[in-house]
Amino acid sequence: MNPDNIKYHKEHTWVKASGKKATVGITDYAQDALGDIVYIDLPEVDTTVEANTEMSEIESTKATSAVIAPVSGTIIEVNEKLADSPEIINEDPYGKGWIAVIEMDNESEVDDLMDAGDYERYIEEEAK
Amino acid sequence: MKLTIIGAGPGGYVAALKAAQLGAQVTVIEDTEVGGTCLNRGCIPTKALVASSEALHKAKNLEEFGIEVTGDINPNLSKIMERKNKVVSTQVKGIRSLFKSWGVNLIEGRGMILTPEKVEVQKKDNTTEIIETDKIIVATGSRPAQIPIFPFDGEHILSSDDALNIKSIPKSLIIIGAGVIGCEFACIFKELGTEVTMVEMMPRAVSTEDPEISEIIEKELKKKKIKLMTGVKVEKVEGHKAEENGGIHVYLADGKELVAEKLLVSIGRALNTENIGLEAVGIKKGARGEILVNEKMETNIEGIYAIGDVTGGILLAHTASKQGIVAASNACGKEKRYDSSVVPAAIFTSPEIGSVGLREHQAKDKGINIKTGHFQFRALGKAHAMGEIAGMIKIVADADTDKVIGVHIIGPHASDLVHEGALAIKAGLTVKEVADMIHAHPTLAEGLMEAAEDVHGEAIHAPKK
Repeated sequence: MNPDNIKYHKEHTWVKASGKKATVGITDYAQDALGDIVYIDLPEVDTTVEANTEMSEIESTKATSAVIAPVSGTIIEVNEKLADSPEIINEDPYGKGWIAVIEMDNESEVDDLMDAGDYERYIEEEAK
Repeated sequence: MKLTIIGAGPGGYVAALKAAQLGAQVTVIEDTEVGGTCLNRGCIPTKALVASSEALHKAKNLEEFGIEVTGDINPNLSKIMERKNKVVSTQVKGIRSLFKSWGVNLIEGRGMILTPEKVEVQKKDNTTEIIETDKIIVATGSRPAQIPIFPFDGEHILSSDDALNIKSIPKSLIIIGAGVIGCEFACIFKELGTEVTMVEMMPRAVSTEDPEISEIIEKELKKKKIKLMTGVKVEKVEGHKAEENGGIHVYLADGKELVAEKLLVSIGRALNTENIGLEAVGIKKGARGEILVNEKMETNIEGIYAIGDVTGGILLAHTASKQGIVAASNACGKEKRYDSSVVPAAIFTSPEIGSVGLREHQAKDKGINIKTGHFQFRALGKAHAMGEIAGMIKIVADADTDKVIGVHIIGPHASDLVHEGALAIKAGLTVKEVADMIHAHPTLAEGLMEAAEDVHGEAIHAPKK
């Protein structure tokens, strides 16, 4: 089940916002589609990211895939643990597998994202 | 016909053998060792070191293959160098015995053109000899280029020549220049345990390759924890006496300061076109000092040819060899022209890079309407079985004719795989023809078939787009 307290981007990333800070990661659907994750090219702290553009790249044993930023802002923290143990994303995509914290330029961007129900309908539609 | 060749590198020695086969009386002058840079200070010794570093890598990761290791796995640099030297000396002997077999006369010393019919040799024992000749081939090659304000000292500021004979594994190394040589050494030293930082003036590593190749090698370097800074110039270097200053200090234009035990400068190569008598006979040179030649490898002076690095262009052993065959043939009266339309190139980083033909941006610049196809090694069963899944194959095709015009590979055995692409370009094959050919399973070459299929969105082992 996808958690209710976070928002979802159509490129299969999620956001948990708290004030200006947004923790982001990839969804359970994305980690399952990718399969065993072997590497993540983590973004660098202090770099800026723009919503709907690539912020990071993930490699699994099957594919390489861009991680699309769900919101715009500045990276203020990255999950360094993923550098050596990227498989954490497979194990706990919504928890320990978070990728970065973005200080948002515009908090209202979060409002445009999907809630859990919309996202579930969206991936069902995609699977068709 | 008497032919004198100055330089016995991959250009000169091949020209010598070709000319001897065509019946010429050949003299080769070499001032260091036959085989030139390629065999003694370039291609071959670095590949011997790459092989050792790859063996070490595999040994460190044996568990992944289900093999248990008890005890430590350590590189022994002096033994690695011993092996490298043996590989080189075996090849050197090979060339020397081919010379003997074909009756090529090798004179050890420095050659200098006096007239188109006379070459002087300064021998190692300080005597000189004048060689009377009918024709001359200049094949004096190149050397590592240095930055005048901090020249090589062989101890702390190293050239690639020095790095090949290093006595101990440095704890830390800064490499200026993330081109072919810089990236190969970065991978070798990192595997041996050195902390490596690279500084590149251009916006990307291996900037002569397709940008997508640069992107992937940059990521692979990052995975290895090799630090790479691109688009930044080196302002100055201090601390030549490393013991006193805690190492070599490199100051960058962006204000950063780097410190390391040693510094490797790999910013390119300088052409050996000075002090060999070119001016005396009036041989025309270009802006970078390169000898100007036509497609027959003829200089402006009748009877004098030039081949390899001294002619500028791409500094590759195999282009020098081909030019040597062209020059030798023409000197012997068999007309031949040098065709540089298909030149495969290999970079022995980890993973390897192999490329041929046009890069995507080059094709666009030429106004060609292009299509590209990609295929990732990680989608191949063979790559998984080998435990080497990083990298991809990219095909650039002319969208109007469907012909293959560029193949760019980064991944396992890329240097060998690229030749299917080279042959496709040389033969003028279409993407469809490459895709239609049955490729053996399970092989890495299947990736080329799939990349060709992908040009038309028809790769079988790729998810729906």
